[in-house]
Amino acid sequence: MNIAVNKTLAELAYDGMLLPHPRLEDWKWTNLRVLIDRPYPPRLKVAAAPKEIERLLKRDPLAKLAQARIVFVNGEFAEDYSNLPTDGDVRVRHHLAPITAEAEPVLDMNAAFATGGVEIEIASNIDAPVAIVHVATDGEARTIATRHRVKVADGASATLFETHLGEGAYLANSVVDITVGANAKLDRVKLEIESSSAIHLAHAVITLGANVLLRDFTLTSGARVNRQNGTLAFKGENADGKIAGSYLLSGRQHADTRLVIDHQVPKCTSRELFKCVMDENARGVFQGKAIVRPGAQKTDGKQSSHALLLSETAEFDAKPELEIYADDVACGHGATSGDIDHNHLFYLQSRGIPEAEAKSMLIGAFVGEAFDTISHDGVRDVLTRFAGKWLVNHKEEAR
Amino acid sequence: MADLDTIELVKDIDVDKYKYGFTTEIETELAPKGLNEDIVAFISNKKNEPQWMLDWRLEAYRRWIQMTEPTWAKVHYPKIDFQDLHYYAAPKSMSGPKSLDEVDPELLRTYEKLGIPLREREVLAGVQTPRVAVDAVFDSISVVTTFKDELAKAGVIFCSISEAVREHPELVKKYLGSVVPQGDNFYAALNSAVYTDGSFVYVPPNTRCPMELSTYFRINEKKTGQFERTLIIADKGSYVSYLEGCTAPTRDENQLHAAVVELIALDDAEIKYSTVQNWYPGDKEGKGGVYNFVTKRGDCRGKNAKISWTQVETGSAITWKYPSCILRGDNSRGEFYSIAISNGRQQVDSGTKMIHLGKNTSSRIVSKGIAAGRSDNTYRGLVSAHRKATNARNFTQCDSLLIGDKCGAHTVPYIEAKTLSAHFEHEATTSKISDDQLFYCQSRGLSQEEAVTLIVNGFVRDVLQQLPMEFMAETQKLIGISLEGSVG
Repeated sequence: MNIAVNKTLAELAYDGMLLPHPRLEDWKWTNLRVLIDRPYPPRLKVAAAPKEIERLLKRDPLAKLAQARIVFVNGEFAEDYSNLPTDGDVRVRHHLAPITAEAEPVLDMNAAFATGGVEIEIASNIDAPVAIVHVATDGEARTIATRHRVKVADGASATLFETHLGEGAYLANSVVDITVGANAKLDRVKLEIESSSAIHLAHAVITLGANVLLRDFTLTSGARVNRQNGTLAFKGENADGKIAGSYLLSGRQHADTRLVIDHQVPKCTSRELFKCVMDENARGVFQGKAIVRPGAQKTDGKQSSHALLLSETAEFDAKPELEIYADDVACGHGATSGDIDHNHLFYLQSRGIPEAEAKSMLIGAFVGEAFDTISHDGVRDVLTRFAGKWLVNHKEEAR
Repeated sequence: MADLDTIELVKDIDVDKYKYGFTTEIETELAPKGLNEDIVAFISNKKNEPQWMLDWRLEAYRRWIQMTEPTWAKVHYPKIDFQDLHYYAAPKSMSGPKSLDEVDPELLRTYEKLGIPLREREVLAGVQTPRVAVDAVFDSISVVTTFKDELAKAGVIFCSISEAVREHPELVKKYLGSVVPQGDNFYAALNSAVYTDGSFVYVPPNTRCPMELSTYFRINEKKTGQFERTLIIADKGSYVSYLEGCTAPTRDENQLHAAVVELIALDDAEIKYSTVQNWYPGDKEGKGGVYNFVTKRGDCRGKNAKISWTQVETGSAITWKYPSCILRGDNSRGEFYSIAISNGRQQVDSGTKMIHLGKNTSSRIVSKGIAAGRSDNTYRGLVSAHRKATNARNFTQCDSLLIGDKCGAHTVPYIEAKTLSAHFEHEATTSKISDDQLFYCQSRGLSQEEAVTLIVNGFVRDVLQQLPMEFMAETQKLIGISLEGSVG
């Protein structure tokens, strides 16, 4: 490995021996040193034909639901394809904000290589969703890194969509830093349907003020390797945060979510709900940690992760952690893993429903519980359709 | 009714919290401080061990010097100077053969004070009920083993491990280190190199051990470490229930206790292992206390084997302990029931591992952690199913109770399912004693402390019921003592 003297520590972390290894507790189940199979050089310009970009943009299942669209092609802001919000209360600025969170491998990599990003400020109640769409075109293997900052002002409310899709082999590194002010409300939906040979690394830093209502949902179905970090910090009392997600994984896909819910102040409520489906040789990992700091009394924190394994060779690993330093709290977690209930399948088949369809229905019902946390009706419908077709689609692709 | 008894018991407890804190004045033979190959040979020589045992120890020592101390547990303590310890300490009077009449009366008085029945005659006369065979370990040496003759009639071998090395080398050679290998982890390697005594149990095929077996460990000497090694083998179709108890004197320096326990259950065999760990926990400010770094592992090697761990952890300044089950045989079963109570500045990092390898294996984990004072109480556990472990089942429940707002309760479970037919369920809760419950009890005339003891005993009930009868009452009492001064 060629280590140049003029590189930053973060750059070294990426291309040297400093990549996270499984002996680091947080990376126990995701060995990037093995999973990152070849060099993904950063800041590599890849030319993309407009036709190709348009074709990919059409694939975004949420395309019709958002008026305002901010498009990134291969890590660069693409103004021509974007449809910036006209509402005066939404300000979008093309700007690469500095990272404020603590050092972490995904963040380090992003700090070194990010090429584009926006800063979105939401000042009042915005009904129309704002979407950030990331598109990667087919081309040389490379690192595509973006970094966004979203600020929701006190008392404001907004819906934010984030889509990641593409073609070919690339490594996407996406960081978002979200601050939600007092009495504000934010719905965030992230759709990760990257190319099946891509690597997707993400880190979301979310900070909540007092009385905030946060709904956050992530669907993970694309990419060969996934690692998504999330930190949710409660900084004001009476806030309510719900983080949900679903995995729909097949083939040799690997997805790992690491969430840290940090209750720093009293009287906040947090919920985590992950419903993960793994077929074939896929491996799903969920690591959730709820911290209740000294003095954060009256915290109500619940965490649950459930896995549905569809094949003998699928795998699910979970580590739901609690770290509690206050006594007047109600915290708990639940984790389950199992296969499809054969009685349910038999019941549906005895009513004349073919096996594949019956399975799809049961999978839909299983992940549906996580979809129900999304407040936007349109998105819920889109996701339900996506999950309904998933089983048939990936079986066909495999053929 | 049982609850009323508890309150009565708690009332009897005097102000002095740790009642086993006395020291026995007895002349002791110590190994020179420090650890090197010569010390390992010294210990081996003291025990009259054959050459193969010394070689085995030296191999462990050579591995140990290449290892580093584990730091992943959620415990903090100053670095241990392993060269500043005596690795062998034995009462001078203990050089001769071990029959009860020859045991130093000072030692017998110590065990009497601890309430451990060593005199078979008294036990038989009904002075001490019920009948339990005891192996008493004092610092580095086994003082006496009771009821050996009666057990021998049933074919059960129950003796100190040093004796087993001499008398039953074929069994020891076959099984020692087969569950916890020499290089398993830092403390297991250290133990393998310098272990001094412990118990050995072999239950022959199709035998139900006629009485409960137990070992009582006592650390007495200053600046020593106790490294005991226990090996229990239940041959095909046999059953054995084994109890372990531990105490140490009140000292303002830390003592090290690094034990290894290996259980082997062959086809259709069952081992029930219960521990009441009450090492000196240190004083209120966290001065002194025992560092309890223990590797305990059971191997269900045969079909339909069962291993059940029950532990009550109230003592030790630091506990680092994960009694585990390897469920290798088809249809084998592992159980883990735990009560871990921490008060003052105690730190507990304990839990279990259930490793499902065979088909139709099942396991159950019930862990109750109670943190009070300024203590930290962590449950850390692993449940994993190998690809071939079809129809593996696990149920895990870990509940934590916090008393006061200066303590911490943590849960770190790992769940790994590598096959679709493995069904795992895990749930954990953390809460405090509800004000309503407390108020209700107090309005019925109980003092606050009595009410807390009552509620805590209710909280740990599921686990208490798994303990052998004679331990249950003792444990309820212990819970009362451990939580004394935690409220208000």
